[in-house]
Amino acid sequence: MGLLQQPAARASKVDGRRLRSIKTRRRIIDAYLSLAHEKSPLIPTAVEIARQANCSVRSIFERFSDIHGLQVAAVDQVLSEITPPPPPREGDDRLTRIRAQVETRSRSCERWLPLWRSLMANQGESVELRQRAVALRERIVARLASMYEVELSTVSPADRKRLLIVLEALTDTESWARMKEFFGLSFEDACQTWTQAIDRLLPPTPSRA
Amino acid sequence: MSTPVTASADSPPSPVSKPEPRIDRRRLRSARTKQAIIEAYLALLREAPQVPTSTLIAKKAGCSVRSIFERFVDLHALRVAATDYAFAEATAQVATSDASGGRQERIRTHVRTRGAICDRWLPLWRALNANRGESVELNSRMVLMRQAILKRIELMYSPELSTLPDLQRRQILIVIESLIDFESWGRMRDYNGLDFEEACTVWIQAIDRLLPATPVS
Repeated sequence: MGLLQQPAARASKVDGRRLRSIKTRRRIIDAYLSLAHEKSPLIPTAVEIARQANCSVRSIFERFSDIHGLQVAAVDQVLSEITPPPPPREGDDRLTRIRAQVETRSRSCERWLPLWRSLMANQGESVELRQRAVALRERIVARLASMYEVELSTVSPADRKRLLIVLEALTDTESWARMKEFFGLSFEDACQTWTQAIDRLLPPTPSRA
Repeated sequence: MSTPVTASADSPPSPVSKPEPRIDRRRLRSARTKQAIIEAYLALLREAPQVPTSTLIAKKAGCSVRSIFERFVDLHALRVAATDYAFAEATAQVATSDASGGRQERIRTHVRTRGAICDRWLPLWRALNANRGESVELNSRMVLMRQAILKRIELMYSPELSTLPDLQRRQILIVIESLIDFESWGRMRDYNGLDFEEACTVWIQAIDRLLPATPVS
């Protein structure tokens, strides 16, 4: 019967299978992300992931070589879904830019803290996960450099580098978590703490000619 | 076999109490082995980020695996003991640094002491973070460490902080604590490739910017 099948029908069957496989892959990644968020910093087991994704454990390992491979794919999916925040609008004053950057960063920390902790706790010797953690930090530093270019352009390259290191450390995900968990600050109070600190740390804004 | 006799506090020492020095020597040896196990655990953490196995610890400490579990119920208990040892050592190190002097002098002393502690204890801090889980003992020790760091900041910068209203004072404390965190130091050294002096300069300049003006005495 298969031999008599028309090429178009065969192709559509193959495409249907591929599509189902892609959908299952996506469901597995979503299940992993949801469980990693819930159980952070522990890694969910294959059985738990399969149950949540409504597939068999075998289905997971048909698509990923191991749980580490799934972790890497999940991090990549998250990275691809993060929309880069808009650049500062021309004419925005210092405080508006600081508030905008703090607002975006704090929302990101709130949303991704459990996954970030899971990534940090389980990266071990994994080159792939370390590379992704580095890529995330680089994005944060690039955003800081873009938001505060006006102020950073007034200092020497060495001072600029130091300031970026400090701003990145200050607005780290764990720094946000400590403000909320250890010091018991509300979202607004934590944002205010970062806003005031960044204002103190940045050099004076040059006046427009 | 003679019945052991213990001397009471108000009775004169009797000849039967002679075996005591032997017991003391045994105790001393046991305490030394315990110390060697803790130091072996810490040395292995510095060599590799993975939690060391009991076999590796025993090899490094020059004792048997059994010796470890005669002194610690499990590896978690060893981790707690190593944390206590590190905390005591770091506290002693901090206590010797001078909290007086002018603004720049105090910032430098604080940062250099903190940098040295971070360099020495970062691997243990990472292991603690990775393994604390639901452990009440480890979590309470981490809180104690953070409180000690905050107290030190308050002490070192009391002239400047005393000029601020409560809310602002608290904000500055939170920010400095966040800045001089172990992982912040770790990133400067590992990720940004700064040496000890360069990393200290980053923190010194930042703290100087964050603190309000020093009041004129």
